Amino acid sequence: MAQIVLRNLVKNFGHVTAVAGVNLEIRDGEFLIMVGPSGCGKTTTLNMMSGLETPTSGDIIIGGTIVNDLEPGERGLGMVFQDLALFPHMTVFENIAFGLRVKNVADAEVEQRVRSAAQQMHISHLLQKVPRQCSGGEAQRVALARTIITDPSVFLMDEPLSSLDAKLRVDMRTELKHLHKRLRATFVYVTHDQAEAMTMADRIVVMNGGHVEQVGAPLEIYRHPSSQFVAGFFGMPTMNFLSGEIEAANDRLVFHSKNVEQVLPENLAADLAGRKVVFGVRAEHVAIGTGNMHGRVDLLEPLGDGTLVFFNFGGETPLVANVEPETLLAAGDNVTFSFDVKRSHLFDAENGRRLN
Amino acid sequence: MTTATVDAARARKQRRERRNSIIRHAILLAWTAVIIFPIYWMVLTSFKDASEWVTWPPYWWPHEPTWHNYAQIFAFAKLDPSLSRQATEQAFSIWKGLADAAFVCTAASLLALLLGTFLAYSISRFDVGGKYFRHMILTIRMIPPIVVAIAILMYYAILIPYATSALFGVRISLFDTYVGLILIYTATTLPFVIWMMLSFIDEVPYTLEHAARMMGAGRFMVLRRVVIPLVASGMVVTFLFVFILNWAEFLLALTLTHPEVTTLTVLLNKFQSASEGRLYGPQAAIGTVITVPVVILGILIQKHLVKGFSFGTIRK
Amino acid sequence: MVELTSRTAPLRSDTEAGFLRRLGAWFAQERVFRLIPFVLVEVIFLAVILIPFLLTIYISVLKWRANRPFETAVFAGFDNYITVLANDQFWLAVGRTFYFAGVAVILELLIGFVLAMVVSQTTRFKALYTTIFLVPMMIVPVVVGYNFSMIYVDSGPLNQILAPLSDLLGTDPRIRWLSHPGAAQWGIIFADVWQWTSLTFLIFLSGFSALPQQLINAARVMGATPWQIFWRVQFPLLKPAIVIAIVIRSMEALKMFDPVVLLTFGGPGTSTQTVAYFLWEQVWVFNKFSFGAAASILLLLIFGFLIFIGIYMLVRQRNIADVARAA
Repeated sequence: MAQIVLRNLVKNFGHVTAVAGVNLEIRDGEFLIMVGPSGCGKTTTLNMMSGLETPTSGDIIIGGTIVNDLEPGERGLGMVFQDLALFPHMTVFENIAFGLRVKNVADAEVEQRVRSAAQQMHISHLLQKVPRQCSGGEAQRVALARTIITDPSVFLMDEPLSSLDAKLRVDMRTELKHLHKRLRATFVYVTHDQAEAMTMADRIVVMNGGHVEQVGAPLEIYRHPSSQFVAGFFGMPTMNFLSGEIEAANDRLVFHSKNVEQVLPENLAADLAGRKVVFGVRAEHVAIGTGNMHGRVDLLEPLGDGTLVFFNFGGETPLVANVEPETLLAAGDNVTFSFDVKRSHLFDAENGRRLN
Repeated sequence: MTTATVDAARARKQRRERRNSIIRHAILLAWTAVIIFPIYWMVLTSFKDASEWVTWPPYWWPHEPTWHNYAQIFAFAKLDPSLSRQATEQAFSIWKGLADAAFVCTAASLLALLLGTFLAYSISRFDVGGKYFRHMILTIRMIPPIVVAIAILMYYAILIPYATSALFGVRISLFDTYVGLILIYTATTLPFVIWMMLSFIDEVPYTLEHAARMMGAGRFMVLRRVVIPLVASGMVVTFLFVFILNWAEFLLALTLTHPEVTTLTVLLNKFQSASEGRLYGPQAAIGTVITVPVVILGILIQKHLVKGFSFGTIRK
Repeated sequence: MVELTSRTAPLRSDTEAGFLRRLGAWFAQERVFRLIPFVLVEVIFLAVILIPFLLTIYISVLKWRANRPFETAVFAGFDNYITVLANDQFWLAVGRTFYFAGVAVILELLIGFVLAMVVSQTTRFKALYTTIFLVPMMIVPVVVGYNFSMIYVDSGPLNQILAPLSDLLGTDPRIRWLSHPGAAQWGIIFADVWQWTSLTFLIFLSGFSALPQQLINAARVMGATPWQIFWRVQFPLLKPAIVIAIVIRSMEALKMFDPVVLLTFGGPGTSTQTVAYFLWEQVWVFNKFSFGAAASILLLLIFGFLIFIGIYMLVRQRNIADVARAA
């Protein structure tokens, strides 16, 4: 059963199209993350799901019912905001209880449920404090407690971790995943951080310019990006891209770029010959010390579990390779390099679509 | 540089700074005197007995200070014949003016506050009236009040009685009524309320309202439980500011009311317009009574005035 | 696991829903709620602005004195407007108003600026001086008028202070200031300056305190003298404040009314009549309603033009500030 379905969702703000036709099926109980750069339409889509924005056209279907005309509070959703939106003039207790107070739930029941939610989020000791007195992580938990208390079936989250410092962010990621497993609810999560998306999601929706570029499991997206945009968005450091063209030579297809010549695998379609393409290869698939292409080391960045080698080969931009930490290299060294072509990617130079 | 020249330079600098400081304080003290003098004179006169009002040379301190003027204006009885220069029908009593002014000002300020806060909220969240409405709102105040007075006079004294007698058969005029003055005071101060409350409401992050709505609160509940508590202090400042404006208002009260409704400003003017037998004492007393609470209030909200008048002259 | 009570149990409000609550709920709906302020604004605009305005225009094209019943009013086209435009007193009042406003505003700007500059440089008693200097603005204008009339009276303190000078000149020190046209005019101007210098002071004080200290420090490090710093750094940055002060004060000063009524009644003769006073007299004292209506429409047009200029200058100032900030 698909819990949420978005059908041909469009949102225009005057002349600006923020969301240009989104079709999505979100499965019951999954952790779905929408990623993309600023302005790609992910937050607008989320706001349309919550009811805070009305779609220009298209439908939002939750649990089989079209909810376009329902008020946000009537859709049975919970939402966590980027700035947490805790009511500064109320205690933590009242913040959590707000959803119940709105529905005129009896005091005794409110008391019990608030304490239960607080206990689940480990903030029972903060109940009489004011949001101003809470640390970033504590405030985050209060926001979560406030959301789980109304027991929604779907949780919408708009970049909830972006206001936290780096270490706290990593800790909270794990907590959110645990929470998801425990509640067994559907999480729809928006972020611009690809690392967050990769670590937490069951499925990722990559958005760009109001369109959905690709939907799939994290590893799927990492290994088989459907476009150059997706390929470049995921992975640290960014994938190496080389512009060039494909030629046919001796029954095989060869990729040509400045100072680079790479024979391509056999299973490619023959009509690719003569195409202008972009050749993509990740840093961990570039090998140094083997092969017949030459380059000169520019910069080294030791990461601890590997070393990034930035080197020039006479092309327009330097290439990056991720090598074993024990490799002895220094800036200025002349090296040879090669690509793991079976794990490389080819994209059409004009529309960025995946070709292989 | 030798120590001698350095020392000489420092000494010169110190002399110059001391001289500048003296000049500065002289200027400040001079203007302070200019400001304090008329106020002092008024309070002074209010304590003078009738015989000391127009002496020459004038007395800078009453030879026989008296509470009599205050007793006069706060008396419930109409006239103390022993004090009037000419037989006049002037009612000294300040009670009517005080009561009318207090009632009208409070009612009009409250009405403007409620209406204005609601409208400010709508402008802030929904852009009611267009994108530039919030910048244009104060331009309404630039219409000269005399034009407003003439137009509203026609409206209250002519059109409305005509319309109500045609529609309901009963002739209702808003001229010289409490309702009439309250309505016009509300209308003229509404732009201020909106302008001030806008700046307060803009500071409330709208994600708070989103969160409340997600939890099922309707707009009214959101206003009541989330927005208003956070702008409550702003509402108090706005109310006081508008109250002071209404309290000091003269032209509209003069033209649209009296004698049924008589605010303090109109009352004071009535004394003034008597060409003979000016009663300086009671007048000064009334003036003092009008002024003192306002000055105190003004000093209290002074901090907010300074902030509000920055107009973003130089943004940080 | 959080218990599942609220989603399934009936809500208290449902079963006890009264008419009022459902009405409130209907209003709280998003689309209805958004309409309410719109409707309100339209109603207020109509009732308070549009209708009186149209009414005034209507009356201005009639020939009618208020001491005769309305029914005798006769359509007179633009006669009233021509009468107003041909009326010397009207134009004199207009000119006088500009004169008063101009002199008063210039004085207020100068004094306010100097005071703000001095206060912002002073450390001792700064708060006290600021509070005192802001007081006149808060005093009811009617009371200010009354105060000054007491001071200007022939046996008043002003004459007493000037007595040594009068003795020197051999004149009677008990001068009736308000009986001389020129002096009466200056009396009114000074009353206005006394009260409203506080406002320009306030605006300039905010301007001075918002000046970024970094810029001044940078200039000092580069060796600029205090005078140079003032003219080249501080003054240009204060231009927005100056413009705002000019526009706001001018607009208000042109409406001058309270001091005229309190101090001079437009006298002696008509020498201190501002245009607001003139109109008041025509309508409330002489009951020339149509004349007054026509004059007020004309005044509105004049003011409309000035408002337009004022807004233009303010908006330009804001845009310059925005551009400067973005740069």
